[in-house]
Formats: sequence, structure tokens, C-alpha cells
Amino acid sequence: MNWKFSNAAELLGRIGESGLGYAEWLIARDAFNAGIEAEAVRAEIGRRMMISRNAIEQGVASPKRSFSGLTEGAAFKVASSPLPPPVADRFFGLAITYALAVNEVNACGGRVVAFPTAGSSGIVPGVLWAWRDAREPGLNAESKRLQDAFVAASAIGVLIAQRATLAGAAGGCQAECGSAGAMAAAGLAVLEGMDFADAIDAAALSLKNSLGLACDPVAGLVEVPCVKRNAFLAANAITAVTLARAGVRSAIPFDEVVGAMKAIGDAMPAALKETAEGGLAATPTGRAWKERIL
Amino acid sequence: MSERALGLLDIFGPVMIGPSSSHTAGVARIAFLARKIHGGPFDRARVLFHGSLASTWKGHGSDKAAIAGLLGILPEDARLGFAPELAKREGLNIELVPVFDSPERYHPNTVVLELESGERRTRVRGASVGGGKVRLQSINGFKTELDGALEALLVLHQDTRGVIAGVAAILAAWGFNIASMTSHRTDKGDLALLVVEVDGIVASGVVPALAGVQGVKDVVYVPSASGGGRL
Ligand code: SF4
Repeated sequence: MNWKFSNAAELLGRIGESGLGYAEWLIARDAFNAGIEAEAVRAEIGRRMMISRNAIEQGVASPKRSFSGLTEGAAFKVASSPLPPPVADRFFGLAITYALAVNEVNACGGRVVAFPTAGSSGIVPGVLWAWRDAREPGLNAESKRLQDAFVAASAIGVLIAQRATLAGAAGGCQAECGSAGAMAAAGLAVLEGMDFADAIDAAALSLKNSLGLACDPVAGLVEVPCVKRNAFLAANAITAVTLARAGVRSAIPFDEVVGAMKAIGDAMPAALKETAEGGLAATPTGRAWKERIL
Repeated sequence: MSERALGLLDIFGPVMIGPSSSHTAGVARIAFLARKIHGGPFDRARVLFHGSLASTWKGHGSDKAAIAGLLGILPEDARLGFAPELAKREGLNIELVPVFDSPERYHPNTVVLELESGERRTRVRGASVGGGKVRLQSINGFKTELDGALEALLVLHQDTRGVIAGVAAILAAWGFNIASMTSHRTDKGDLALLVVEVDGIVASGVVPALAGVQGVKDVVYVPSASGGGRL
């Protein structure tokens, strides 16, 4: 079997030729490349899903405070707020809370799964585990249906990494949290019953809306704006799937959006690519934090 | 280094102790590899943080990460957070030094590790290239380009005919599949460096066997970063 693809169109073609489902094909490819059984790949995906779940539990259980003081229990605050949220739907509230939770645990030196990076690690698990809790509490990390959503999300990451980058230092935060938003959209789309090709289009919708996002972390730490941005990109992904589910298509196909992201990343000045020399890091308050911490 | 296809588990991973895949997980992985290249425990070590690591190592826990790796703790192990205490308890001498005037050719996230036990010295320069992935760019003064995904052997040899064939024959005899093999001239007269990546785990008898090949001066074993290997 030919396991190579360089864009979404080719990936869909290969899957189509194989007669396998998208998740089966992608897992078989990982297994082939690593020289292990497909079952072992599934088991590892399940293990990593549980680690992301544990980070969620930890993050909402108590306020997380980081070494720098920049992170101060936002997930706990949202989870325990007595006020009714403006959006009453439980899924939405859980998604943004969980996304915050994972990233706060990360900021405090806890255990997470980079997805695709540590700074963006809350977005996909936040959206997908929240959907599980709100819609299908019977599913768990061993359920094929939930695993396949993590596979769809990961596949979007592979596609972006092959043609652009997933590193904030190379492409700005559009490459990290932006990519994670697109990945979460694809995962949520398949959970909502959409097929993989339509899930990729939902990813395109989400990615378009985060193009140009700068990486300007205060004091160079993965906290501000990173932690809260995880919540916002989770909301972005949910919006994308709300549109896609209703039949709204991305005017620009996924592969071209990725190309645009690469071009924008290349054009970005170094000050906005993780050097902590521009944007929020360069504000008076951002600089004051830096003085205090470093 | 050969180009490897990216898979699902490269994107959904690595499992790691926060906060930064490049400043925490990558640094731990490079230090972990440095310990393995050294061949295990050491008496003294020095960690040099270059580029962006020099200014943000404290907030990113790069110090804990480097110490953890030097203790043989992988980036996903929760003990990473207490590595400095563990090192203290073991009475290990580890010096941490931020360097602000790095050579321009260094990657922006570079860490250099110098390990010493008695006469034996190991110097490894690694770059943390994002997402927890690493490149070992120099080992004991030799230019390399290894990512720790596969086991590798560095063979320093006289630049004469027959050495490469001799090395390949031994690896074949031990049943190894060679994933990549690159040869570099060095600035040390007529010496050349052969970098071989193999599938599977290198058995302990291979290194002495290669060292016995005519023309071979030294062999360094670079285990994979996944925790396999001999230590
Ligand atoms: S702002 Fe930079 S460091 Fe923070 S999540 Fe985005 S890319 Fe990562």
C-alpha cells in the first residue's frame, strides 16, 4: 500500500482506494511506519486520551497557580462560577472550561499531551471530552468512536505539519493554537456524524479564522495569552462545526488555507514568533511582568 | 538523518511534563540522550543554555528538565518536576549556565551538555526544534544530525577504502537493517565520521565488533530517545 500523501486531496484519494475507513487507514499507516501492530497504535491513542482527561480533572478540581503567577486558576473560576453563563448549552461551557484546565495544568508543570504543542494542548481534548460528557457519557478512551475523533484531529495536524509548521517560533500562534482549533473542528465534526472529507472542510473554516495570530507570550512563558487562547480556539472550532454541519462550505479549500497560513507565517516579523519581543510581551504591563519574573 | 513520515502519534504527543514542548520536553530529551551517549552515570555535569533558553529557562523549567534528563528521567515522567531535589539527594554535581553570546550557527533553542566521569568526557550539543522533537547536532566535537528516533552508531575512522564496507558487513552479520548511513569528513586530518541509523535496538556486542574493524578509531553508541537502549 502507498502510505504517502502531501495534501488533503491526496490523503482522501489514498483512503478511498484502500476501501478502509479514514481512521483504520491512518492507524494502519502509523503502525506500518513504526513497525508495530495497529492494535498497539490504538492502545497508545487511548492511553494519551486518558492522560489528557486526567489533566482536565486536575485543572478543574482546584485553582492552578504557576511559578510566575501569570496563571491563576481560570478553569476553576469558570467551572465553579455561581452565575449562569451567557450560553446555556452544557457542551459549550465544558469545552472552554476543559481547554483552560489542560493548559493551566501545563503552565504549572503538570502532565499533558502536546497536541500539537504544549501551549495548544487544551483545545482538542477540551472540545472532544466535553462533547463526550455532554452528549455521550457512555463513551470512554477505549471507544472506537471517541478514538476516531482524536485520529481525525491528529490527521489535520499531520497535513498542516507537512506543508507548513506547527511551531509558534516558525509560524506564529496561528500554527499552534490555530492548528489545534482546526484539528478540534475535524474531531468534533466526525463526532457529530459528518464524514472525514466534510470534517476537513470544517477544519478549513476554523483555520481561516485564526490566520495571522501572533505568538507574543509575556516573558516568553507559555501562559499569557496561551492559556486563555485555548478556550477561545475551542469556541472557534465549535463555531466552525456549527456552520459546517448546516452545510456551509469553506470558500477556500483546506490545502490552500494551509498554504496561506505558511505564507503569513513566513511574512511575520521575528518579534511575533515566540521571541517575546513584540505584541503583548512588549506592552508596558507585559514588560513589567517580565521584570518581576525573570 | 533520513526524513521520516509524520504520523498521528507525532501530532498527538509527546506525553510530557509542562510547560513547553520545546523548552521543557525537548531539553529533557536531549539531556537524556547525552547521559546515554556518556554510557550512564557521571561525576560532574555542566549544562549550557543558549539562545532563547538562556533567557527563559527558569520560567520554562528547562533547568528541571535538563537535570531530569541527566538522571535518566524521560520527558513524560512526573519525577521531572522534582529532578533538582533528586539530584541533590544523590549528591550529583550539576552546574547550570546561561550563555548569551552563542555562535550564530546555533539553533535558537540550543542546549549543550558536558558530562565527566574520571577520564571519560562527553559533550553533546542538541537543538530543541519544536513539539518536543530534538536534533543532536554535535557529539564529542563531531557534526551530527540525529533525532533520537532510531538507534545510531557513530564510527570515527581513517578515511580509507574498505572501512565502510567492513562496518556494513558487521551490521549485516548482526542482523541489523540500516535505515540510513552518511559519511562526513572531519577537520581532523584524514579522519571521517560515519553515522549509521539502524532499525531495532543495538546489542551490546556490536560496538566492540565495530571497533575491531581495520581503520576504525572510535565508536559511539547513540540509543533512541524513547527509553529503549541499554541503560
Ligand atoms: S502564543 Fe506562542 S507560546 Fe503561546 S500558545 Fe501561542 S504559539 Fe504557543
